[in-house]
Amino acid sequence: MSEPLLVLDNVTKNYGAIEALKGISFSIGKGEVVALLGDNGAGKSTLVKIIAGGLEPTSGRMLFEGKEFLARSPAEAKAAGIETVYQDLSLCTNVDVVANFFMGREITRKVLGIPVLDERAMEAVVGKALASAGTRIPSLRTNVEHLSGGQRQAIELNRFVHWGGKLVLLDEPFAALGVEQTRRGLDMIRQVASQGIGVVIITHIMQQAFQVAGRIVVIRQGVVAGDVARNKTSPDAVINMITGETLAGAGPAG
Amino acid sequence: MNPRTRNALEFVLDNLVWFMLLLVLVVFSLFIPNYFQLGIFANIIEASSVLGVMSIGLALVIIAGHMDLSVESVAALSAMAVGILFCSSGIGLGVQLHPEWLMVPVSLLLALAVGGLIGAFNGYLVVKVKMSAFIITLASYIWVRGLVLVISGGRSAQDLAPAIRWFGIQRLMGLPLTAWIAVACFVVFSLIMAKTPFGRHLVMIGGNETATFRAGIRVNRNLIIAFVLAGAIAGLAGWLLAIRTSGATANLGVGLLFNAFAAVVIGGVSLKGGVGTLPGVYAGVLLLSAINTAINLMGLPANFTQVIHGLLVLAAVLLDAFKQTIRQRLA
Repeated sequence: MSEPLLVLDNVTKNYGAIEALKGISFSIGKGEVVALLGDNGAGKSTLVKIIAGGLEPTSGRMLFEGKEFLARSPAEAKAAGIETVYQDLSLCTNVDVVANFFMGREITRKVLGIPVLDERAMEAVVGKALASAGTRIPSLRTNVEHLSGGQRQAIELNRFVHWGGKLVLLDEPFAALGVEQTRRGLDMIRQVASQGIGVVIITHIMQQAFQVAGRIVVIRQGVVAGDVARNKTSPDAVINMITGETLAGAGPAG
Repeated sequence: MNPRTRNALEFVLDNLVWFMLLLVLVVFSLFIPNYFQLGIFANIIEASSVLGVMSIGLALVIIAGHMDLSVESVAALSAMAVGILFCSSGIGLGVQLHPEWLMVPVSLLLALAVGGLIGAFNGYLVVKVKMSAFIITLASYIWVRGLVLVISGGRSAQDLAPAIRWFGIQRLMGLPLTAWIAVACFVVFSLIMAKTPFGRHLVMIGGNETATFRAGIRVNRNLIIAFVLAGAIAGLAGWLLAIRTSGATANLGVGLLFNAFAAVVIGGVSLKGGVGTLPGVYAGVLLLSAINTAINLMGLPANFTQVIHGLLVLAAVLLDAFKQTIRQRLA
């Protein structure tokens, strides 16, 4: 493994008396793709929200690029270079493709000292980004509410590829995609990782995890139940880790 | 459907309320004697200035996905504050400043500050304490109006200082300056909503607040600014109202809130948030004003106005649903 990009050290999260995360420790290297697996309710999405600044951990600490790190808001995480694609899409369907692509990061030019949206520049950037990813959308000025589920997800995926950053978190990114679009999505992940960006992908589909990830981390009941290199395990072994039937072949835990 | 008819249809749908306004003006001009004259049209714009300004603030907050029921009472309080300080009879204190024109910025700032403060109070409770905007601003609607009654003792202030009154008397191209102020407000805030990141963010917050928060937009800050703006704009409406009536009474502006709501909805703003533009709202305001003028000219009892406004709001909501189905076919 290359030098660690993000290190989680005994991160916990309680909702009242319920312990969603009981102490999660693992790390992600630069350019590494880690698949985060686990049953429903295992705490995967909670973990992603903690890294992405949507939730604060109850205890534990995180190191990002070797420095103590805690994002109090998604804006802070983004500023540090962490991009997130959420399970339920984060698009504003009442505005067009361009506005969604640049959400919160609009290109502006100053007119009499007032920032004014530079629509033409933004449209050019989006057009180029979508074209290079092979995504076809009839008009970039269409409101997202008129687009299909696949087109919406494609916008989000292209958005994270474009903004890049240092670490990308993907929570079930291919839920609404067809076979061909999923293949392209997996290619996008490899391409992003080859640029030295760390990728954490949450998925339910074992096949996807084995196709793209270098390492597989399994979370079960709020703890890391397995952390193994892909080539040292098998889908069956991973399923056993997820369901907790056996820890045999699970490798070093936590 | 070829792209050109499609674009044309989209254009009509986007600007439907303007076409309705045009249609109404043409029909009234044809069938109501004396309707078609510049003076009448000028009057329509003039009569809609207070309502128009108030509707801008209300529309901002609704587009951002919230609600501000307090704008009417806030306008009344601002008007009363200006009235008490700068009126010379009734409960007016008749404060004089030298030079006289100084009373203009002072009274304007006072009105804006009163409105902005109440807006900030509403915004803080809604955003930070996470209470329902409907309840918070309903409470403000009541207590602010109560405050107007308390500070005025139910009496009125008359004879506003001539330096301030000047804005209601001085005309430019047939319209008093107060009407121009309303038009300027629409232009400025339309540009802010359509062309600046702040406006874009408000629209997106109204569309999907979670998504904008995740995208790193400072949702709370933007929403509080929207409430402060709505309050300050209502304060400006109050200032205009004080000029228009040359003073302030305790029941000044009662009922304006519902007209403002009607204008906003007719103008194509969705109460669900995220949908609507300010030019549309202005068309809605003008439409209401055009109908009021027609009722006056025809000599119908003024009581009919309310019935017609109510039906108009109903028509606007139905029309909105109809527009949605057409758009879905288009997509």
